[in-house]
Amino acid sequence: MQEWANQLCENRQFGSKMTDSKYFTTTKKGEIFELKAELNSDKKEKKKEAVKKVIASMTVGKDVSALFPDVVNCMQTDNLELKKLVYLYLMNYAKSQPDMAIMAVNTFVKDCEDPNPLIRALAVRTMGCIRVDKITEYLCEPLRKCLKDEDPYVRKTAAVCVAKLHDINAQLVEDQGFLDTLKDLISDSNPMVVANAVAALSEIAESHPNSNLLDLNPQTINKLLTALNECTEWGQIFILDCLANYTPRDDRESQSICERVTPRLSHANSAVVLSAVKVLMKFMEMLPKDLDYYGTLLKKLAPPLVTLLSAEPELQYVALRNINLIVQRRPEILKHEMKVFFVKYNDPIYVKLEKLDIMIRLASQANIAQVLAELKEYATEVDVDFVRKAVRAIGRCAIKVEQSAERCVSTLLDLIQTKVNYVVQEAIVVIKDIFRKYPNKYESVIATLCENLDSLDEPEARAAMIWIVGEYAERIDNADELLESFLEGFHDESTQVQLQLLTAIVKLFLKKPTETQELVQQVLSLATQDSDNPDLRDRGYIYWRLLSTDPVAAKEVVLAEKPLISEETDLIEPTLLEELICHIGTLASVYHKPPSAFVEGSRGVQHKRLPGSAGSGESVESPDTGSAPVASEAPPAVIPSQDLLGDLLNLDLTPTTTTGPPPPSSAMQMGAMDLLGGGLDSLLGVDLGGSPAMTAGFGAPPTAGPPSFTAPVSGGLDDLFDLGGGVGMPMGAYVPPKTLWLPAMKAKGLEISGTFGRRAGVVQMEMTLTNKAMSVMTDFAIQFNRNSFGLAPAGPLQVLTPVSPNQSIEAVLPLNTVGPVMKMEPLNNLQVAVKNNIDVFYFSCQYPISMLFVEDGKMERQVFLATWKDIPNENESKFQLNDCHLNADAASSKLQGSNIFTIAKRTVEGQDMLYQSMKLTNGIWVLAELRAQAGNPNYTVSLRCRAPEVSQCVFQSYEAVLKN
Amino acid sequence: MIAQVFILSSKGDRLVYKDFRGDIGSDAVGLFYDKVTALTGDQPPVVMTHRNVHFVHVWQGGLYLVATTIAADSSPFAIIDFLNRLAALIKDYCGALSEKTVQMNFALIYELLDEMLDYGYVQSTSCDVLKNFIQTEALSSRPFSLLDLANVGLFGADTQQSKVAPSSAATRPLQGGKSEIFVDVIERMSVVMSTSGVLMKAEVEGEVKVKCFLPSCSEIRIGLNEDLSVGGSHLAGYGAAVRVDECSFHPAVRLDDFEAHRILRISPGQGEQSVMQYRLADRLPLAPPFRLFPAIEKDAAGRLLMFFKLRCDLPPKSSAVNVSASIRVPNGCISLSQELSSPDQSAELQPQNRAVVWKVPRFPGGTQLSAVFKLDIPALSSASMMEVGPVCLTFELPKVTASGLHVRFLRLVPTQHRGPTQRWVRYVTHSDSYAIRI
Repeated sequence: MQEWANQLCENRQFGSKMTDSKYFTTTKKGEIFELKAELNSDKKEKKKEAVKKVIASMTVGKDVSALFPDVVNCMQTDNLELKKLVYLYLMNYAKSQPDMAIMAVNTFVKDCEDPNPLIRALAVRTMGCIRVDKITEYLCEPLRKCLKDEDPYVRKTAAVCVAKLHDINAQLVEDQGFLDTLKDLISDSNPMVVANAVAALSEIAESHPNSNLLDLNPQTINKLLTALNECTEWGQIFILDCLANYTPRDDRESQSICERVTPRLSHANSAVVLSAVKVLMKFMEMLPKDLDYYGTLLKKLAPPLVTLLSAEPELQYVALRNINLIVQRRPEILKHEMKVFFVKYNDPIYVKLEKLDIMIRLASQANIAQVLAELKEYATEVDVDFVRKAVRAIGRCAIKVEQSAERCVSTLLDLIQTKVNYVVQEAIVVIKDIFRKYPNKYESVIATLCENLDSLDEPEARAAMIWIVGEYAERIDNADELLESFLEGFHDESTQVQLQLLTAIVKLFLKKPTETQELVQQVLSLATQDSDNPDLRDRGYIYWRLLSTDPVAAKEVVLAEKPLISEETDLIEPTLLEELICHIGTLASVYHKPPSAFVEGSRGVQHKRLPGSAGSGESVESPDTGSAPVASEAPPAVIPSQDLLGDLLNLDLTPTTTTGPPPPSSAMQMGAMDLLGGGLDSLLGVDLGGSPAMTAGFGAPPTAGPPSFTAPVSGGLDDLFDLGGGVGMPMGAYVPPKTLWLPAMKAKGLEISGTFGRRAGVVQMEMTLTNKAMSVMTDFAIQFNRNSFGLAPAGPLQVLTPVSPNQSIEAVLPLNTVGPVMKMEPLNNLQVAVKNNIDVFYFSCQYPISMLFVEDGKMERQVFLATWKDIPNENESKFQLNDCHLNADAASSKLQGSNIFTIAKRTVEGQDMLYQSMKLTNGIWVLAELRAQAGNPNYTVSLRCRAPEVSQCVFQSYEAVLKN
Repeated sequence: MIAQVFILSSKGDRLVYKDFRGDIGSDAVGLFYDKVTALTGDQPPVVMTHRNVHFVHVWQGGLYLVATTIAADSSPFAIIDFLNRLAALIKDYCGALSEKTVQMNFALIYELLDEMLDYGYVQSTSCDVLKNFIQTEALSSRPFSLLDLANVGLFGADTQQSKVAPSSAATRPLQGGKSEIFVDVIERMSVVMSTSGVLMKAEVEGEVKVKCFLPSCSEIRIGLNEDLSVGGSHLAGYGAAVRVDECSFHPAVRLDDFEAHRILRISPGQGEQSVMQYRLADRLPLAPPFRLFPAIEKDAAGRLLMFFKLRCDLPPKSSAVNVSASIRVPNGCISLSQELSSPDQSAELQPQNRAVVWKVPRFPGGTQLSAVFKLDIPALSSASMMEVGPVCLTFELPKVTASGLHVRFLRLVPTQHRGPTQRWVRYVTHSDSYAIRI
């Protein structure tokens, strides 16, 4: 070493700059040969220099693999520095030269016995990095020794090496019993060894979701907690992350772990802090809220989170993304820390936006004045995006905190006075939302808004303004002029504005019919005749027909009270939030996406969940699993404030009462409408032209009422539906026999019996309508009440011809599952209203849940195993199925017809076990284990599901399917 | 789990590249460089993703230090912290972090990486632990270079001012040289003040850093103000006791004497460490250093007139340096005319930022400056008066701590080490975000 240093100094004196940087000079011809010669030199210094040059070339991506044998030759040296360099080279090239790599094995094995622990560790570390199968065989013996080495430095290196080896050859690791040795290392005296063993085991366990590798029990947890206090900050992270996967048995254990983790919150390393926060957030779920300790813990969580915000902007951003999650889950933690989220003028824009979001989430009556003052300040900043978001935030405050609404509105008016174009537009958009939340309260500002009509150039703002004019048309004297001015460039507007304009003018017409007939005719013809947009045409026709048939009904429909918009927007869906809380401090929490969203490769998808709460009054706060099936598929309770359909949905024209996305079958209906288009146009067109002066604006069309309109097309539609309804598939789903739903006694002579079935993937209601009255029945329609799975008719009830006395008629009604959701008791209960020309009748019936099992309900084996384990035991229900004389295979194929899929079959001691999965239309998975003993007619069915309340219904389906 | 670590020059050249897990190809380097250079200012640069590869990087000393991973459950904090430590270690070993030092010492850096990470698990980042394993000797580039002057100054503090520290202190490798120890107290101040001088928000974040050049040292004791109180304001008595809301310490700090005597005991390893971090909010012991008295009006000719008096409320012996006030002005300013109270000040209009920037190189405590700005704005309306403000100040306060925290003494527990030891204690407060609303 000394010698080399001298040489260096000398060289420097001669000005030739003998430093590493010269290795990076460009390749000359024959460089490889030169290096070869130097590598084989006798002088150690020269060799070292040469190896360095080789590694420098390797770094910049040059191929120096040709030198492999020469470099390997340098391996046998007692100079540690040279040895490290050679090993570095080996790791890189061994894979491309596996045969050559074998040459190095002897030296590795020898080095593993070296008296110097540094060399032993180095050898074992490097061998693990050489991903060549042949070498792994030689690795086993040395690794076994090193795992029991006396030096902790060697042991901790060997622990990691097990994980490396497992990645190359998992079977080998299991066969050699390394996993057990690794488990023993958790009890090692050296905390660094413990930490590495935990890290290695966690990783191995991840690729074997079903194994019981990381067997976390109170004893091991205790060991981990002890090691936690002693090991380095990095080791603490491994251990905390591992603890987060543990589910304590009860709240007492939970509390004691929390107590021992809390000191980590004051650690200087922010990664340690966040890992600790993750553990605490998770285990807090188990603590009853009335516990004193719960309150203490909440208080302790705030300061470290605040401290994270003093880091550089990049880390701040990561911290804010995490805090955003925490605030959504437990706003009480940071409710007094509003000030730290105030924006600094020199924050980067991405930090500002994130802070703004958190400010709104924390806004409450107590701090709203402060928040508003800040927001107003932000609204005059330079950055356009930030200003827009700040203006929106003011609107959100108004909606969230009722007491502040007035102040928010006046702040927004102040901002409109600035006449800054984008501020004005944003303000109008949010004022529209405020109007929807607090109707008839702030109309006094409308005059001010109207002054700015001309400056609006963004579709969203124009649409909002038009909505306001239409909604409050009776109070705006020149509403017709205002709307007319928009009409001039109707075809250049975006769809959003067009739709809104159409609705607004119809509203205006209904409010002031006398002066606005021309206007409404103009807009209806623009929408229906000149537009290519099907949505617009549909809406135009609907209004048209409504107005022409029954202006009073039209008024009721169009001017109906709208549902209020909800307070909180942009909330993360609760189940996703729960999962993200389990991933606090990870990359997933930065993206706000679960890790499974990134996985493309082989790793099994494991969804983490928070443990259930022990406290009594807890369920209000945490979405309990009970409501999960409803929450998971139901459209969010929030009505998007600018929903285009909003007004349309109030129309009760068709029996469907969907508030969600348009049902899949609507394409069909739309087609029908378009077919209608021509005929209708001509019919109405003539009429309109002929009698412009009638009060309703339209003459009564020659054919009266909507039912007659459907008549010409319904035949075609019927055919379409018939495709699904005609013949069941030979192995089709089980359809129970028809039962009597509505006796004639109760329904003025109308008798309905029916059943439900799933045919070719379509859920159907099959009914027989019998007229037991003396007169003809016509004009049938059907409607469902809200129900557990959002069942709703996918089209109108097709009863085409009048039903004469004593006639029976078969009707098939296709259903979809995008209707409004409400939990029913029993779960599969459905309340139905049927109307005919006589009256409206109500009845309720129960549908077999099996008709909701979808065709893609077959789970992957691995996923099944993982999910089965993942679902807590208390969610399992066991049922006894008696008198079933099928063998397992027959049962399996029978069930398959009803979309209950068998994933695996095992036979143990004469007992057949079938593992089955099914998926409900709303995405709930049900996992089942069916045990059948040969010769015994009694089956046992165990069902596991995250929403255990469906189990009973599912079992009933099993019973029905298997016994028929 | 970190899959790869690489260091790139600002031009995207690979200086160091090491693969730990073999699950990402080496084309990640090019991918990263393409992504990072394509970033616009308003995208968060922290984590970037390409398919299932995540890139986390820090930018230090003109180099990209990058780590990649495919595990979405790895912690970005841990990775960023790790990269920052790597940068610090390279500085400790090689004196500075630059393209040149990294090229000269690549073998050493590979060795460091090998010990710091195994299969992507961080093993250790402590200089003291690592020096047991490291064989390669560092080469430092010491030939004088003008560029190096830019680095001189308080380490850790991001400041342009350079007169306080001995020039060589910050950029010097650990081995060899004089035996010296530096204790720096660095504070960052965030203030939001209303026109009337009411403090709407005040916050100080501070840090005590130690950089040790002692070959061997068993223990140092840092005595802080004896009246220092830690915790919420309810604990503070009356009077001007020094208070911090929260503080956290380096895990190696022994706090046996902290409760009673406010003494921190540490055995500093060689190199730079952050010994204590603290934070206080709302109730600052001293008045905020600057107050602004604005008057804004429209003159007869339709110009915008702004009169400012800026007062420095520091004690007369102290002064602020590099003070710069950025005054937000309405859109559409064409020209600026100004009257400033002394010739060393300057002011300019920056239309792209909608701001007038008023610079004062040195501002002694207890004095007051004034300025008059006249702005020509063609479309001046009463609404555009609302667009004036806030005024944002940046400054440095050498030898001042906003929290009042001081080092009473710095004692070295004697060792067999001979020769005098230089001890330096330095203070600086600089602005993080100091805004005055109008």
